[in-house]
Amino acid sequence: MPKSQYVDPKKVFEPGFISFKDIPVCQYKKTLAEEKKIYTKDDMMRIYHDMRVIREFETMLNEVKTKSAYNGVEYNNPGPAHLSIGQEASAVGEAYALDMNDFSFGSHRSHGEIIAKSLSSIHKLDEKEVYDIMKEFLGGTLLSIVEKHMPTSDIKELAKNFILYGALAEIFARTTGFNKGLGGSMHAFFIPFGLMPNNAIVGGSGPIALGAALYKRANHKPGIVIANSGDGALGRGPVLESFNFASMDQITKLWGMDGKYPDGGLPILFNVFNNSYGMGGQTRGETMGYDMAARLGAGFNPDMMHAERVNGYDPFAVIDAVSRKKELLLAGKGPALLDVVTYRVSGHSPSDSSTYRTQEEIDAWIAADPIAAYKAKMIKGKVATEAEFAAIDEDIINRMTTIMKLAINDEISPRMDLTKNPEAISSIMFSNQKVKSMDPTREAEMLVPKEECPRVKEIKGKIRTATDEKGKPVSKMKMYNIRDGLAEPIIDKFYDDPTLIAYGEDNRDWGGAFGVYKKMTEAIPYHRFFNAPISESAIVGSAVGYAMCGGRAIVELMYADFMGCAGDEIFNQMAKWQSMSAGILKMPIVLRVSVGSKYGAQHSQDWTALAAHIPGLKVVFPSTPADAKGLMTAALEGTDPVVFFESQRIYDKGEEFLAGGVPEGTYEIKMGDPDVKKEGKDITILTIGAVLYRALEAAKTLEEKYGISAEVIDTRSIVPFDYTKVIESVKKTGKIVIVGDAVERGSIMKDMAANISELAFDYLDAPAIALGSRNWITPAHELETAFFPYPDTIIDCIHEKIMPIPGYVAKHNFSDVEKIERYKKGV
Amino acid sequence: MATLVIMPRQGQSVESCVITEWKKKKGDAVAEGDVLFSYETDKSSFDEPATVSGTLLEVFAEDGDDVPCLEAVCIIGNPGEDISALIPKKEEEAAPAAEEKAVEEVKEEKKEEVVVATESADKDGMMKISPRAKNLANKTYADLSQATPTGPNGRIIERDVNRLLDNGQRLTPEQYENFLKTGVAPAAAVTEAPAAAAAVAAPVAEYEDVKLSNVRKVIAKSMHESLSSMAQLTLNASFDATQMMAYRASLKKNAEAMGLGNITFNDMVLFAVAKTLKNHKDCNAHFLGDKMRFFNNVNLGIAVDTERGLLVPTVFNADKMSLNELSANAKTVIKAAQGGSISPDLLSGGTFTVTNLGAMGVESFTPVINPPQTCILGVCNITRRVKQVNGQDVFYDAMGLSLTFDHRALDGAPAARFLKELCTNLENFNLLMAK
Repeated sequence: MPKSQYVDPKKVFEPGFISFKDIPVCQYKKTLAEEKKIYTKDDMMRIYHDMRVIREFETMLNEVKTKSAYNGVEYNNPGPAHLSIGQEASAVGEAYALDMNDFSFGSHRSHGEIIAKSLSSIHKLDEKEVYDIMKEFLGGTLLSIVEKHMPTSDIKELAKNFILYGALAEIFARTTGFNKGLGGSMHAFFIPFGLMPNNAIVGGSGPIALGAALYKRANHKPGIVIANSGDGALGRGPVLESFNFASMDQITKLWGMDGKYPDGGLPILFNVFNNSYGMGGQTRGETMGYDMAARLGAGFNPDMMHAERVNGYDPFAVIDAVSRKKELLLAGKGPALLDVVTYRVSGHSPSDSSTYRTQEEIDAWIAADPIAAYKAKMIKGKVATEAEFAAIDEDIINRMTTIMKLAINDEISPRMDLTKNPEAISSIMFSNQKVKSMDPTREAEMLVPKEECPRVKEIKGKIRTATDEKGKPVSKMKMYNIRDGLAEPIIDKFYDDPTLIAYGEDNRDWGGAFGVYKKMTEAIPYHRFFNAPISESAIVGSAVGYAMCGGRAIVELMYADFMGCAGDEIFNQMAKWQSMSAGILKMPIVLRVSVGSKYGAQHSQDWTALAAHIPGLKVVFPSTPADAKGLMTAALEGTDPVVFFESQRIYDKGEEFLAGGVPEGTYEIKMGDPDVKKEGKDITILTIGAVLYRALEAAKTLEEKYGISAEVIDTRSIVPFDYTKVIESVKKTGKIVIVGDAVERGSIMKDMAANISELAFDYLDAPAIALGSRNWITPAHELETAFFPYPDTIIDCIHEKIMPIPGYVAKHNFSDVEKIERYKKGV
Repeated sequence: MATLVIMPRQGQSVESCVITEWKKKKGDAVAEGDVLFSYETDKSSFDEPATVSGTLLEVFAEDGDDVPCLEAVCIIGNPGEDISALIPKKEEEAAPAAEEKAVEEVKEEKKEEVVVATESADKDGMMKISPRAKNLANKTYADLSQATPTGPNGRIIERDVNRLLDNGQRLTPEQYENFLKTGVAPAAAVTEAPAAAAAVAAPVAEYEDVKLSNVRKVIAKSMHESLSSMAQLTLNASFDATQMMAYRASLKKNAEAMGLGNITFNDMVLFAVAKTLKNHKDCNAHFLGDKMRFFNNVNLGIAVDTERGLLVPTVFNADKMSLNELSANAKTVIKAAQGGSISPDLLSGGTFTVTNLGAMGVESFTPVINPPQTCILGVCNITRRVKQVNGQDVFYDAMGLSLTFDHRALDGAPAARFLKELCTNLENFNLLMAK
């Protein structure tokens, strides 16, 4: 909502029509004679060769899946194989027009894209470049294998073997694969050739590729980004969100407005390999209404995303289209959309019995086979002879057979040995690095020096404790609060790391819905700090793509409840790519989510357990200004994805614990280190998030009224978590209640209670008790005391489950009978 | 050359497919592309087309057969062609079958172990106490039996143990250990007894460690349990054995003529006990914690010194026997116990026990009750005493009796009444015989 753009009621109501331009449909009409002027014989033979390699590679996989043997070599591959037999011309045509600076993302059906872009890259790079890439990759392991077992003096031939071997070893889950076998068929990638991760979630690459384009745009990097998908992915919200996100007006209208960093639209091509089916659902005619996929472009921006429909069975038509789109994108006119019509002759997977299509249809497409047709055209046009093609075929079959033998040889291509090295996967779940700037070669682009940033000035004038020297509460306007604790390290990082970008809904002028980013707009240029559309999938997914390319992002979902809208992006993408890439990728993302209250069932949920359940995410939840600052500093300095929980109940809180107030200057709080906020000896109360303050009230009552001394520990982090301090406390007190605002069932409190019971069993004087909210929807604010844990709930729980307090009368029912009843009813 | 057609694998999770229908039969001519048969997985159905032309020479499966993936289904070739090499060989089944059996046996063994474990873990009388409170009690020997649980659901928690300690309610280490053994985990600690014995013997310069025999272990456990879990005390009395001795003398004389066995003083005491107990049900009973079990019959336990240690065989229904029958029965079981051939059934079931140290000159002692019985009678030696009869000092033979009883089960007076009546009966043995 920039003030610079006036929403004028007069203009808004002016009558008129929206007009559309024509969307070209299979308009490529060049003859072979014309093509011969563009392409040399070498180029033309290379196109055939590359298509043929893909075909053979996938034929081999199909034989292995269905017959457990290829060309006499037996093997059993239990993993997936989603083949694209029939789609080779589309893949080769696209790759022909791209180079290493162009990043391509794909789907679960991307073997063809990987091979095509690799072969095209090998062709375009000089020998030394190719050799250096191979030598550097994973310490030269793959290179030494192909050099030893398939020796050749021709570097480019060696490179071909290298990529085919690397891809196949990856598919067969070998440590010598591109990602040490941890990605597999649906996730193989090879960054040195601009091949970015492929995704087993349909449409998963949409927002990720968007983020890569943001990276190129915000960091002024060359090249374009391709988001490959099938037509089935067009039914996915994250893909459509990405179309819109990439098209948003601000990129061309506002991002250059500060005058300093003009650029164009996002350099992204959404490329749809349209094979008419999403698994078995027929898109055109059954599951979609667009008639032709290219029509979608018309809905997203006045340029209609430069949408076009192309014959994907003709490699020249595809090369022509992709080249023209690339030119547009490099000229700052993105995004673009291509509808490349092709056909998958093979089943969705080898178990596909093609119940959804007729043999007649399959036969017709086999008859139109792009490779056979291309060969026929070349022979007829006297480009090459049958014998020349036969020689290529023979070489490919032999090469594939040798590579398969190498890839299935357990000595040359071993699998990860989790018996010998049981923690091999543990060691790559997180990268655990500390990197001040993701690109130390560049200066950060900012609009004013740090000391002139209005927020920095404001914070400077604040009192960094909650009470003054006389013990009187500091006025809210003057008090350094949790918002400031979050803002300080974020502002610092904007000045330290040129790649840092921050976005989310209402981030810029509004300052974030809860004011954390207040008064930062004046200091940070638009392309580093902007309002995102209400597209949670695209917000988180793009951050993933941004980080994959080497940037650092801090993105925000206004409420933790909206994590569901970005479920796949948080749980499958952000969490998993570091480990699925065997540590090749880093994921420096801070995902800020705010836990609400007062706003009912869909705006008040603490979903820490969901985030903590997914391996690969770090999860923190500070509840004091000093902890917020220290943990935000640690999160931003690190290279791992952090889900950063905040609570709307306590944004206003000042520092009540550190005597000297929130320290000035930079400091980190180690993730995983809980903090004793109040010492005690009779019972331990471990808190998660904002409930800390209610626990302290309970502790006060226990002490003053009942002479029970409670120790209160704030978890601060959830993943990782060091139990040492908590166990020490339990050894002392023998009793612990773990309290949080999340609903009790399946909560982190339950998880921690189980762990503490396990680790401190002999010291416990009562079971470790988890106290959360009731297993209900969050009711209206006026009823919340019956739902969330409050001081009296905490004391009731202690009284009934841990140590009956003489003279105390409980209001809540924590009896065993009641518990069994509630669980019986599922509430 | 003939071609073997195998069952394709349609997806990795598919292990076998069912042939739904043969479209060709053995001997049929087949053209490339002809459907040979239809088959299905649990997910979908497929047609298998011929990849070569020829004649269907051999078929290995019929409609409805479930064929493992990649196994032979049929052979296509030219009539008369040698296809023997393609026909799959049936694998010998004996070896895998044996292996299977072995696996099964192993499983069974394991099962037994599990059952045992379940049984020992499934004891009643579980004391509710937090691990922390128990650790504290273990260190301080707090008398948990006196604890007032103030934790939820009647659980003893740390503060309850602290209260015991504040009140000085502690046990000795031995008592505490025994409390734990009998209250919570009876079996485990027993094997530690030899170690404890060795520790006591340690200061002696020369010693020999001898592992306890099982009988010794049982005695140790039972005696220790008896003393530590009961409220035992002993009453001592004596009676004038003159009449009894005269009676025995007459028996000795006439035994052979009357076909009687060698009836001892002990037999006579046993007889008197069996008869007297009928009037004192508290003494012919078992104390079972929350209830008493009174017996209609008297099953007399007789403490017997054997090479292996103390054994207590039982004479069942002793109250129904004549003196001669009782004597004979007692001899039989005592002999069996001494010979080591006694049936375990005869080593339990007693309702009252008699132990005799009189022959060893013991004048009085405190026999230890064989739980859950409520009494044990110790028979002491005969001593010469003086009593005044009509102002005259008269010497007589007195036999001592020591009755230990469980004060939990009965009080002193009833026990004393039993002992008194027993003495009276023995003093007037002739009258007893007439009853």
